[in-house]
Amino acid sequence: MSKTLTKDEVNISELLDRPWITIVWDDPVNLMTYVTHVFIKLFGFSKERAHELMMQVHDEGRAVVSSGTREEMERDVQRLHEHGLWATLQRDDKI
Amino acid sequence: MSSFEKVGDGFSLDLTLDEANILVNLVEQLLELLGEGDFFHHYDSSDPLAQLLAMPSEIVTPDDPVLLRLLPNAYADPEAASDFRRYTEPQLRGAKQKNLRLVREELTILVDENHGGVIEELNSDVWLKALNDLRIALSVRLEIDETSFDKFEMLPDEDPQKPVYAVYFWLGWLQENLLGLLL
Repeated sequence: MSKTLTKDEVNISELLDRPWITIVWDDPVNLMTYVTHVFIKLFGFSKERAHELMMQVHDEGRAVVSSGTREEMERDVQRLHEHGLWATLQRDDKI
Repeated sequence: MSSFEKVGDGFSLDLTLDEANILVNLVEQLLELLGEGDFFHHYDSSDPLAQLLAMPSEIVTPDDPVLLRLLPNAYADPEAASDFRRYTEPQLRGAKQKNLRLVREELTILVDENHGGVIEELNSDVWLKALNDLRIALSVRLEIDETSFDKFEMLPDEDPQKPVYAVYFWLGWLQENLLGLLL
């Protein structure tokens, strides 16, 4: 007879091995050109891609700028904080 | 009006004495808030051994809203945020102090000689980050939001906050000026 697992026993995130993501949040202080500059510098994005992500932060209040292992995302968040951007990391919610 | 200029491969900044005084004053206030003279003062903080020994056992989430914005939580979860902070905050704080000290050094030359002038061959990366941290610090104190520029323009000249707003927007202009040369 099989037993139904409780919610705590099923960690879907771990089962699917979902990556971690770095999110940059909008704030009223950082200049749009500065945010674009930082994205190019830290992540090697093209000018167009960096601008697109910056606009997403501006319009939607947040944007995912990188994904990978937890350690990699912690490093990205730290580098973003060194540049004064408001960033957090979390496990990817999307399935 | 002061501005950055591209000179060959490098950058320079022309400042009046008043501007240099305002900047050095802000830089020193922020260094003080970040705890200069505290546990980073008497040794080279880039030395890993010194960092290890100096790491305080309790690094807590800052109470001051300026510090919390400059040294933000990396996780929404308070426990994960405070774990991360314990291991990374000294480095983040040190990086910000280092930028501010370099800028202070360059400004001090002008201020000590008591005249305006040109800072040559400045490090654009250091200046961008330092200007940004100064703007962030002022923005928290001024509670800056999207309406602040209109509010500033409506303030009467005798309002004590007016010059602080003026400095905040001037720093934004300076930073934009330097970015324009880089992008």
